[in-house]
Amino acid sequence: MPNAQIAIYAPVFIMLAVATLVAVLFFVGASTLGKKNPTPEKMLPFECGSESSGGRHVKLSVKFYLTAILFVVFDIEAVFIYPWAIQFRSLGWFGLIEMFGFLAVVIVALVYVWKKGALEWES
Amino acid sequence: MSLTFAISPFLIIAFGAMALMLSEAFAKRSNGLALGTTIVFAAAGAFAMAVWLYGLEDIEGLDTLTPWLVVDRFSLFFDVLLCLGGALAALLAGGYLPEHNLDRGEFYSLLLFSTFGAMMLAAAGDVLTLFIGLETMSIGAYALTAFRRASAKSAEGALKYFLLGSFAAALLLFGFALIYGATGHTDLVGIGAALKAGASKQPMVVIALVLILAGLAFKVSAVPFHMWTPDAYEGAPTPATTYMAVAVKSGAFAMMLRVLLTAFGDPSSMSWSAGWPPVLAWVAVLTMTVANLIAGRQESVKRMLAYSSIAHAGYILVAVVATMRSQTLAGASVLFYLLTYTVSTAGAFGALILCGRRGAEAVSYEDLSGIGRRHPAAALPFALFLVSLAGIPPTAGFFGKWFIFRAAMESGLTWLTIIAFINSVIGAYYYLRVLVYMYMREPAAGAPIAVPMRSGYVTAALLVSALLVLALGLSPTRSLDVAVQAASFGG
Repeated sequence: MPNAQIAIYAPVFIMLAVATLVAVLFFVGASTLGKKNPTPEKMLPFECGSESSGGRHVKLSVKFYLTAILFVVFDIEAVFIYPWAIQFRSLGWFGLIEMFGFLAVVIVALVYVWKKGALEWES
Repeated sequence: MSLTFAISPFLIIAFGAMALMLSEAFAKRSNGLALGTTIVFAAAGAFAMAVWLYGLEDIEGLDTLTPWLVVDRFSLFFDVLLCLGGALAALLAGGYLPEHNLDRGEFYSLLLFSTFGAMMLAAAGDVLTLFIGLETMSIGAYALTAFRRASAKSAEGALKYFLLGSFAAALLLFGFALIYGATGHTDLVGIGAALKAGASKQPMVVIALVLILAGLAFKVSAVPFHMWTPDAYEGAPTPATTYMAVAVKSGAFAMMLRVLLTAFGDPSSMSWSAGWPPVLAWVAVLTMTVANLIAGRQESVKRMLAYSSIAHAGYILVAVVATMRSQTLAGASVLFYLLTYTVSTAGAFGALILCGRRGAEAVSYEDLSGIGRRHPAAALPFALFLVSLAGIPPTAGFFGKWFIFRAAMESGLTWLTIIAFINSVIGAYYYLRVLVYMYMREPAAGAPIAVPMRSGYVTAALLVSALLVLALGLSPTRSLDVAVQAASFGG
């Protein structure tokens, strides 16, 4: 039933069309209707009111990346623990053992990164 | 027998990987890790064989697992095959990594984790477990590709592989989502039943099938989804290339067979007029022809072997198409071919590793010239594996091709068989070209002369593959029987 299927999704398509229309209207309106009077001050990049300094390409230490990735691992762990905690009573012993198994795997990863020195900031 | 026994191959690989990872972190040395990894692989393979011999009928509670993880003869066959591929790659790494100053223990844990994903892929009964298995396998392979950190080529190959691989995974996921929308099932058996009941007429199913086929074709590196393969295979350290060429490809074909035969096994999806067979047939023709033509023009032997692995995917696709008429015979020829391909390819890459040492990795044909006379012990196994890849008797590769051609003929795909045959003749050209360089050329004056490295690990890997190549080539019937049993899984 292709027609019926399309009918179900009609609101989505209408929403899509309206959103596109509004976005295009704003862009076209801003570039055609508004007055343009550029001054050097106006052309500066805006940085919370303070004057910007330095180039755009700042090299960040790879350490930040490593810390962020390790954070994601434990973030995901929390994501899994939370629904388990909500359903703790109905899952019972089976759920407890399963969760301990999951935690054990994550702890293996923690021990590994610890011993490898990935948690040391100065090195 | 308990359920633990049935999934023991998985448990061994998972616990072995974690134990090796921790031992490497605590000991801060990587000696003996290659041996440890090989032992873990061997143990997992042995347990898979034990489960096979014990028989799955007597294991209680297997059906509680089945909606997600199907432990049947098909998945047990792949457990053994993947463990064999992983063990060969680990042995090669044991010689290659110290020689090329890449000796970091993560290689082995990544290898084990990735193999765990591949085994899960072969056993997946639900698109969710299938996707988790696929990602576990792929992420390990991405990291292995980028293992040579200081090399720009390695980084380039890994980045291409990662970006295109994620894209293909997204296509696959999108296809699965549409199928779920059309049938209301995520388990492959349920999808198959719903399609048989008439859901396959929906346009959404056709779009889903196209997306899934594209994702699968990427994972087995079929033309036109092969662009990442030569760069990733060339940039990766050779043991990682071996692993990708044998285990990752086998896992991908396991997934392909399972998805196509279980979920898309209804008469309409399997028909020549409205289903996947003609699409895959043309992909197979393209894959074989393009890969063989480009492989013949390569100057690097490693790159030639990469294109050769694409061409072999094309031959296997011929048999996958043939499963539309006879699942057991054609499916068995896929499994048998994967077995012969695994031992021949791992052996060929191993021999290539053996022919080079630090700072002088043998890459081009020129590097190999004259090695047949100076180092016959390195050249002879190389010749054997290339002959097997070319499909010349009495090696394993001959029977691999023979069974595929026979299955395709019996499915009435005569034209496809003829194209595959012509291609295997073209393929023989570039394999034999290596032999010509090894035995009939002398290195140019002043050119660097390849000196084979010495490594017990590499020698062991070459011995095992050479024995298997000869054994499968001289008496293939027994292994074919096993493959037939493995291929007759419930549709």
